[in-house]
Amino acid sequence: MTGGWITSFILAGAVVGLGIIVFYLRKLWLRRRRRSFRVMGEDVLKQIYNATACEREVSLDSVSDKLRIPPKRAQLLLEILHEQGLLRIEADRLRLTPSGERYALHIIRAHRLWEHYLAEETGFPEHEWHGRAEKREHFLAPEDTQALSAKLGHPTHDPHGDPIPSHDGELFDVRGQPLSSLPEGQLARIVHIEDEPECVYSRLIEDGLYPGMEIQMLEVDSSGVRFMAEGVEHRLLPLPAANVSVIGQDEAMDEGLLGESLSILKPGRRGEVLGLSPRLRGAERRRIMDLGVLPGTEVVAEMVSPSGDPTAYRIRGALIALRKEQANLIRIRVLDRDSVEQEPLSARASMGS
Amino acid sequence: MSKSSKPTSEDILAQANTLRWDLGREFHQRLVETVYGEAARLADRAVTRPEKKPRFDFDRTIDRIVTSRIFGFPIMFLLFALVFWLTIAGANVPSRWLSILLLEKVYPLLHAAATGIGFPWWLTGLLVDGIYLATAWVVSVMLPPMAIFFPLFTLLEDFGYLPRVAFNLDNLFKRSGAHGKQALSMMMGFGCNAAGMVATRIIDSPRERLIAMITNNFALCNGRWPTQILIATIFIGALVPPHLAGLISASAVLGIAMLGVLLTFVVSWALSRTVLRGEVSTFSLELPPYRPPRILQTIYTSIVDRTIYVLWRAVVFAVPAGAVIWLVANIDIGSMSIAEHVIEFLDPFGLLIGLNGVILLAYVIAIPANEIVIPTVLMLTVLATGMSGVGQGAGVMFETGTGDTLAILQAGGWTLLMAVNLMLFSLVHNPCSTTIYTMYKETGSRKWTALAALLPLGMGFVLVFLVAQVWRLIEALI
Repeated sequence: MTGGWITSFILAGAVVGLGIIVFYLRKLWLRRRRRSFRVMGEDVLKQIYNATACEREVSLDSVSDKLRIPPKRAQLLLEILHEQGLLRIEADRLRLTPSGERYALHIIRAHRLWEHYLAEETGFPEHEWHGRAEKREHFLAPEDTQALSAKLGHPTHDPHGDPIPSHDGELFDVRGQPLSSLPEGQLARIVHIEDEPECVYSRLIEDGLYPGMEIQMLEVDSSGVRFMAEGVEHRLLPLPAANVSVIGQDEAMDEGLLGESLSILKPGRRGEVLGLSPRLRGAERRRIMDLGVLPGTEVVAEMVSPSGDPTAYRIRGALIALRKEQANLIRIRVLDRDSVEQEPLSARASMGS
Repeated sequence: MSKSSKPTSEDILAQANTLRWDLGREFHQRLVETVYGEAARLADRAVTRPEKKPRFDFDRTIDRIVTSRIFGFPIMFLLFALVFWLTIAGANVPSRWLSILLLEKVYPLLHAAATGIGFPWWLTGLLVDGIYLATAWVVSVMLPPMAIFFPLFTLLEDFGYLPRVAFNLDNLFKRSGAHGKQALSMMMGFGCNAAGMVATRIIDSPRERLIAMITNNFALCNGRWPTQILIATIFIGALVPPHLAGLISASAVLGIAMLGVLLTFVVSWALSRTVLRGEVSTFSLELPPYRPPRILQTIYTSIVDRTIYVLWRAVVFAVPAGAVIWLVANIDIGSMSIAEHVIEFLDPFGLLIGLNGVILLAYVIAIPANEIVIPTVLMLTVLATGMSGVGQGAGVMFETGTGDTLAILQAGGWTLLMAVNLMLFSLVHNPCSTTIYTMYKETGSRKWTALAALLPLGMGFVLVFLVAQVWRLIEALI
């Protein structure tokens, strides 16, 4: 018997060892693939395109920094791009040729379309979209992006609010102003949330900000900004605030987006749906609309599950349970009339007098 | 003049291209919202609803009770305990009748008839001992519990209570990335995993439905309860004084079932965060109005749609399996049958993971239904040990009293470790072929079906291997 279990330990050790080796080899292979020259070259074109749009300069050092490769390799990479006619090197400054620009726009188009696809057609969480699109953008040919665009109904903007270049490489860009430059009391709409760096971006997403959200500035000073959105007060430090761009507007276009969320409705209270938050996307959004949750629909909170979530609402005569995360994205106006009606007659009489 | 002012198609396209940027980002969303809104407005104007106030209040009262913080969970546990008790207690008698009829009366008759017509011994063996016996076994063990469980369950469903169970339990399932309705497909799985697969149709979110299907196997099905009870009685109950034996063996079986529920949550959690994370996920749960159950119609549909459907599939798979079981035990290569060769080949690996070659072979050839695993194990053990005076001959499955079963298994070299591991492996191994086929029909995907079959099998091997090593380590130390 002792011999038996010694053998089995050796066998188990061998299995674990083999597993580790396979895992390590896979990692090496993945790194190699990721670092292939084509992919790096495309990243360089994108970097130069973005820098030029912001009127910044790109140097050899910034390329090697961004790709995390030694300057020698970066030099070789730039020479290859130059030979392919995608790049001009003008006395230390890097410029895209017209064909290089077209190439860069194609990569940006692939990236933003893929983000749109992830947001609408898959269940991946929001903070993963950018990273996944960074990888996928290198493997979509122009025909693929065209087919994808058609499948998605030719969207004009990605989920972060960035415009998607058209098939012919046209790009219409609304440049917003930084959030912190908005005067106090001004109404505005968020047009863009920078998705890099990811840690700042995921903080902003957690706060519930999204492109298209209407806000009203309360206070701006050196310690940050304070603003109202969807009935909630938000505070941002200067650094995250700099990653949010807005366009000022004269009046609130959509009163629905300034209402309250369905999840605040206590059992027995009534509300009227004002609209669905743009963060409610894809299949989930369609499902909610199928159930008849539309602007003007009246909703009554009926009961809460004994485990705290979900809550059942009476919607158009049917009893439908929604989870808290979903109810958060449905904007409503609380109707107080109902609670008045349920009060005893004497209370109503005294209110009338 | 007129020619030059007429725009060409290129001009129109170009203008459309510039104009699309002015539509605003939420153009599509707004358009769809308007269409829905307009449909709702038309419906509201055209459709009149009869006033149904009294029923409405009646529903509300029941809902207040069955989803209340105090009574919600106790009512649920009591109802399900009642359903399971009725199933187990009620199935005993018809199960015995069927087994007397099919195995003790018809079987010898068929044997005599086949011999009388002058069938060669191998044809009688293949048709009667192999195919007929496997099918009869599956029918007699499977039919009664299903014919009781499914109508009861369907009655609860028809009354409108089951959606409230999903409502009560959703928070628990949400934490493991699953849907509250999975509680229902899991319950159905305790009756039969193949029926559980069909029951996941109520989950309309693709990701959560796949989770419910892949983890359904961890609900200990009706075909595996007898295995658990038998092994727990003869091995685990025997460890303690007789007056405690019943209690301890029952706890062991219940422990296995609970482990299955725990694994359901753990595996759901892991799946929703790894392979299934990109699948589309939505949530909505409709709580329909209560209505008096239509008892006769319910019994009819649950027997036709669920019981007969599942039973038919099981029989379809049992026929070839019965043939294979008989053939491997009766075709000799050299001095031994195929079964003995395979057992000898599998034995070292089986012993390493705390099982043996007989059990492994039984799980391979008894894949159509978990019901015939124990009869196959007994037959193969007798065959492999060359015992005489027990059983009914090579390739003929049988069952016998607990005392004889223990004697046979001990002669086959069974230890307590092997019994514990068999109970674990019976819970955590690939679903039966009926379930696998049903999953393939439901999903149409080879990939997810393969995952559902291989994931629990892999987990089962790892689990019994680890238990065996720890067990042996402790044994060596004390």
